[in-house]
Amino acid sequence: MTAPAAATTMAITTGGVAFKNPILTASGTFGYGREFESLTDLTAIGGLVTKGISPLPRFGNSTPRICETAAGMLNSIGLENVGVEGFRSEKLPYLRTAGTRVIVNFFGVTFDDYVGCGEALAKMEGVDALEMNVSCPNIKAGGIEFGTDPRVLADLVRACRPVVKKPLWIKLTPNTSDIVALARACAEGGADGLSIINTITGMAIDVKTRRPKIATTFGGLSGPAIKPIALRMVHQVHRAGIPLPISGIGGIQTATDVIEFLLAGASTVQIGTQSFADPDTAGRVARELGAALSAEGVSDVRELIGALRPI
Amino acid sequence: MRYFEARVAQNQSLGGGYFRLSLAGCHALADSRPGQFVMLRGDWERDPLLPRAFSLLSVGSDGEAAILAKTVGRGTALLERAGLGERISVLGPLGTSFPGPSADFTDLLVGGGVGIPPVFMQAALAARLGRAGASELLYGGRGTPDLVLLEEIRAFGVGLFLTTEDGTKGRHGRVTAELEARLLVHAGKPLRILACGPNPMLWAVARIARAAGVPCFISVEEQMACGIGVCLGCAVPARSRPFRYVCKDGPVFDAADVLDVGSSPQAPAACPT
Repeated sequence: MTAPAAATTMAITTGGVAFKNPILTASGTFGYGREFESLTDLTAIGGLVTKGISPLPRFGNSTPRICETAAGMLNSIGLENVGVEGFRSEKLPYLRTAGTRVIVNFFGVTFDDYVGCGEALAKMEGVDALEMNVSCPNIKAGGIEFGTDPRVLADLVRACRPVVKKPLWIKLTPNTSDIVALARACAEGGADGLSIINTITGMAIDVKTRRPKIATTFGGLSGPAIKPIALRMVHQVHRAGIPLPISGIGGIQTATDVIEFLLAGASTVQIGTQSFADPDTAGRVARELGAALSAEGVSDVRELIGALRPI
Repeated sequence: MRYFEARVAQNQSLGGGYFRLSLAGCHALADSRPGQFVMLRGDWERDPLLPRAFSLLSVGSDGEAAILAKTVGRGTALLERAGLGERISVLGPLGTSFPGPSADFTDLLVGGGVGIPPVFMQAALAARLGRAGASELLYGGRGTPDLVLLEEIRAFGVGLFLTTEDGTKGRHGRVTAELEARLLVHAGKPLRILACGPNPMLWAVARIARAAGVPCFISVEEQMACGIGVCLGCAVPARSRPFRYVCKDGPVFDAADVLDVGSSPQAPAACPT
């Protein structure tokens, strides 16, 4: 007879937050948490990242906004959200009772927006950390994304850092030739963690109408199609020795996918688009990861972080 | 709303690419109302990724629920081939429904092609409530193969008016022409229009209803990823606020509120995602 495998320690403190396990949900794919209340066990997951919050409410882009692509989807929602005050009054009261860590994603279209929004959200009780979305067009710089220029990115993080008195994570855009330079800029600016990656800019065409399938022509690609790219970028940043913990994002569907991201160097992962395909994914993967690791005799999930072997 | 696993109990080809998929184990859908929908997904692993939205066609007290679909892409092709006993994940019932049959109104139910399910279910409900005599079902398609389940619809006892664009069955032309004709016949009576079909048909129905001063409820179709108000993909422009969402605010809307997607406002400083 073999003894039952000992339970693996799943808890991890990383990026300034103590999580019960490394399974989080990604911004924009999990609403404000409550939408999944009856669909997955929120208390079983390490944390959730909210829809991105801007200083004022936004109504989003024209339609069509989404389309399915091979093993993934394109979206151009336009960062629709309830705004800082809407979040405080309508969304946060539930999140404080949800039984999981709450990371609030936020963004702006100017430096002042980011600073004001970050400061206001960080002051709210029940917010465990902030995740900054830097994939927005910088109006003053002609619409170039804040997050694609290392100098601008470092300045933005530095501007927010003194007023955001909670852990501050930066969600990096993969639409760059040098993800390591962006990660380094965040470290220099004083960030506490990195989320890697946001969606990859893509396009789909309807040949019958000869039109783009989404109204903005280009959109963000997500889902299993982008997992190899996400793994590569997580690993590049990890291997470069950037001194920030990484939350890995991109096409995660199963516990095996999670283990891949941990081996590549992520400390936590975020389930994104898969929550649309199967709204119970986050809770299920949290359960399955614990079972898979204890079956393999892994005593602590932290053993896996960056434990990739050379080929 | 529940998320559960069902099994294919019957998968019936209706010709012309149409099929009726019946699922066992759908007791959670028992209280569904006409117009409500479900998100369905088979064991498709990575591709196609997203579940598919279908209006309910019928829900039995035995826990068997059915949808009507037409094969147009990868998801519907997989569902058309789904064998008996195959596992299908179900999220539902979702969204809003048509107003219930009322003694105060004669209802003109307008269905176009694969949009027939909510209208079919409304006719079944009217029959069950003894209101079939105060309902007419106007059913249009491109050709004869687009008009399915006719024997079952006739059994509801509602007035049935068929149209085909190729003239092979019923009135030659569009269902909207039949709607205008029935509005004339019923002029002066308290009427309601309840419609589901391709969006261009719905906008035409909405215009006709507005011109006639008749209350109108339309079940709108839009791409959606989640079905529960999270992805925000299924936006439709509206009068009451910039956008309404087909999955949560709809799919059944007061036609006076929602607007044709072509009138969608451009958002300022659009972010890519």
